[in-house]
Amino acid sequence: MKKFWRCNVCNDIHYGVKPPELCPTCLAMNAYVEISSEEAGKVMAVTKTTMNREQFARAIAAFTEKNEFEVNPDKPRVEMLLDGVMANEENHGLKYCPCRLATGDFNEDLKLVCPCNFGIHETYRGKPDGECWCSLFVRRRP
Amino acid sequence: MSRLIMFYARECPHCKAMMPFVERLENEEKVVLEKLEVWHSDKNADLMRSFRPIIAPKCGGQLRTPTFFNEATNDVLCGEVTYDKLKEWALKAS
Repeated sequence: MKKFWRCNVCNDIHYGVKPPELCPTCLAMNAYVEISSEEAGKVMAVTKTTMNREQFARAIAAFTEKNEFEVNPDKPRVEMLLDGVMANEENHGLKYCPCRLATGDFNEDLKLVCPCNFGIHETYRGKPDGECWCSLFVRRRP
Repeated sequence: MSRLIMFYARECPHCKAMMPFVERLENEEKVVLEKLEVWHSDKNADLMRSFRPIIAPKCGGQLRTPTFFNEATNDVLCGEVTYDKLKEWALKAS
């Protein structure tokens, strides 16, 4: 089960089954201590961030930079998909994939939050022209 | 005549790509598909979810759009398919 962990040096918060040995923020070693979700929420609430459509577009572009995939070069297609992702966040609470319907089971539906783990999907894995289910991400072509 | 349903999403490019095939099918084969948008209609979403035990196993375990569903026979097609495949599904169902 995933838990919350806090770096005792810089207050970096980690959510996972075990703490990182190396803090990616301050590089302290073995600095994470398990904390409650309430404490994690309070620590993280100090930082206020937003994620509007343009910010999300920049975030996914940055996400692809060191990966074997890229944001689909078909810009009208991407605009349509961003419309859907943002509408789903507004209407349903999270950036759900516009091309798969949420089941109503929150944990199950976390698999639909964009970007999803499309590397394991049959539309992407092992395919030279692979793409995520909605085609927002496509395998980078040489 | 069986009830033929196309579950689609407004911002789904695969659904958009299939619409001309659906129109052609309706014109040429005189069948009618009930087109139900699922991300902006709770009623349609609930209907699609009610068929999850039938649809999901045939669509990679998920409720994908577009999904073409025959309520009488439980025949399912999901994603972008060729016109011939869509036609085969529709005529098999009718």
